[in-house]
Amino acid sequence: MTEATPILEAIGVSKTYDARGVQTHALSEIDLSIAGGEFTALAGPSGSGKTTLLNLMGALDIPTRGEIRLDGESLGELSPAELSRRRLHKLGFIFQAYNLIPVFSAAENIEFVMELQGVAHEERRARALELLENVDLAGLGDKRPLEMSGGQQQRVAVARALASRPRIILADEPTANLDSKTAIRLLDLMLELNRSQTTTFLFSSHDPLVLERAQRRVWLRDGVIDRIEEGEAG
Amino acid sequence: MLSVIRLAWRNVGRNPRRTGIVVTAVAVGLSGTLLSMSILSGMMFQIVDNAIKTDLGHLQIHAQGFNKDPEIGLLLENNGAPEIQAIQAEAGIQNWAPRIRGEGLVTSPSASVGVRVIGVDPEAEAQVSMVADSIVEGGYFDQKKRVVLGEGLARRLGAELGDKIVLSAQDLSGDMTGTALRVGGIFRTPSAELDRSTVFLELASAANLFAMGDGISEIVIVGRSRDAILGTQERLSAALPSREIQRWDELQPLLASILSVMDQMAAGLYLIIFVAMSFGIANVLLMAIYERIREIGILLAVGLSRTRLVAMVICESLFVTLLGLVAGFLLALLILYTLSGGIDMSLWAESLASFGMGTRIFPVLTLEDFTIPTTVALLTALLASAWPALRAVRLRPAEAVRHD
Repeated sequence: MTEATPILEAIGVSKTYDARGVQTHALSEIDLSIAGGEFTALAGPSGSGKTTLLNLMGALDIPTRGEIRLDGESLGELSPAELSRRRLHKLGFIFQAYNLIPVFSAAENIEFVMELQGVAHEERRARALELLENVDLAGLGDKRPLEMSGGQQQRVAVARALASRPRIILADEPTANLDSKTAIRLLDLMLELNRSQTTTFLFSSHDPLVLERAQRRVWLRDGVIDRIEEGEAG
Repeated sequence: MLSVIRLAWRNVGRNPRRTGIVVTAVAVGLSGTLLSMSILSGMMFQIVDNAIKTDLGHLQIHAQGFNKDPEIGLLLENNGAPEIQAIQAEAGIQNWAPRIRGEGLVTSPSASVGVRVIGVDPEAEAQVSMVADSIVEGGYFDQKKRVVLGEGLARRLGAELGDKIVLSAQDLSGDMTGTALRVGGIFRTPSAELDRSTVFLELASAANLFAMGDGISEIVIVGRSRDAILGTQERLSAALPSREIQRWDELQPLLASILSVMDQMAAGLYLIIFVAMSFGIANVLLMAIYERIREIGILLAVGLSRTRLVAMVICESLFVTLLGLVAGFLLALLILYTLSGGIDMSLWAESLASFGMGTRIFPVLTLEDFTIPTTVALLTALLASAWPALRAVRLRPAEAVRHD
């Protein structure tokens, strides 16, 4: 079930990197809209611009031209401090690896985001344990990341991304460092969260396991949208 | 903010060897400086304490103008009765003693020496001065018509215990007067100056010599401590408005300025040491930031503000410095504990005596020895964190999260 109003929009977005006078056009004139409840993947070969687009839509970077809108609000007009607040309250992130703070336990990693939000101690502890249970990691709250497998770490990352009750979770190659069995478990978990809690996901990935589960695949090639496929892949 | 502080604290423990090196550097630098300062303070305190215990006391009461021009005619009449009444009303005063103070010439069969002549009430004087406890030959006024003089003066006069000496002086009316007395005791104090040039005699003998009648020159007062005497001085000044009530540091401003210079030296020394150390701390923090670029990117991505990121770096710097401070203080206290019996400096006894010091130095730590380095260290920790913090906040989240 998707909402009609878009959560996240890219309007005429271009991104050019300037490295010592050499300009690289990573994205050109991208228009993309993500509605609530979507399970969408940005797909394409390496260098196609999918991570760049994900970073721009996640307020981690700013476009050279065009506009990113989060809940109708243009991110380009916000100060760095306001962007931090939007990331904290409206966006959740899952990265490829080394997602977690190694000196914190699994529960503390999840609680950290809520503590930044100002959630009271008892409430965030209870929610962290609930989220760990939701990602099948009940009883592992006191484990440090290095004491956990890669799959377990990524599930903690999912739980952390959910902790702030974001409008959308952006996942950059979340399965790249996992074996296929672990990757399937992780993706099925996210799909379940999408269906049961209408959590919106936007992936950047070229992993077929991700793409076959995505309801919409936005194929990028050389910084432009090549095609958009709707419906779950075969 | 608590999570940021907790994160900073755990980051400090991430690389125990590297943190250990910085903590050790801070601790060794601090303890070395603290040790040097405590020995120097011990020497200075001994100079001041000896001056207080041999001559100055904590407070002295004189007639107006005596301190500017200490002439014999400036008296406290009636044996200082009104002053003694005011003193007895003061709970903070432990002991007091009346004195007559003048100049004179002491002559032995072999030499004549210009001296300070001090008339004392032996019993009261023993409570305010260490001279009575510093007798090395004879006794402290245990016989009548005796003088007590320093070992240095006895040597200059070629006088020995029981020898007769003649003390000449100008009395209150300006006439030359003199008296013959025997050497009843010879003292040795840490003050070479006192030992070389002072003759003590009984108050009555001094009164006769200077024809003082019922006048005395001063009353010396000893309170519970140097600091506690301030209030006593204020109250006595109010009670005796026509008298000069002066503290030891007003009577001997040079001693006070030595202590003040000591404090400034300590602050300067700590500043130099900690500024040098701040580069070490900055280096460690920078390395820690470079190692954690990706992690910092993740923190920024999940919503950590740049202000909190700066706070995290500052906290890490403060924690490392505080650990160094604690270790440094403990190390210094341990070393000072082993030196609590004093440091034997008898090899330099003669030189030390010329500064009014004994041959055993007791290191002294004051509250400032803890507060000054702590303040300076924390300020330099802030300084040291500025560069790494700047490096951290300049990181762009999109690049940092992909950093290898």
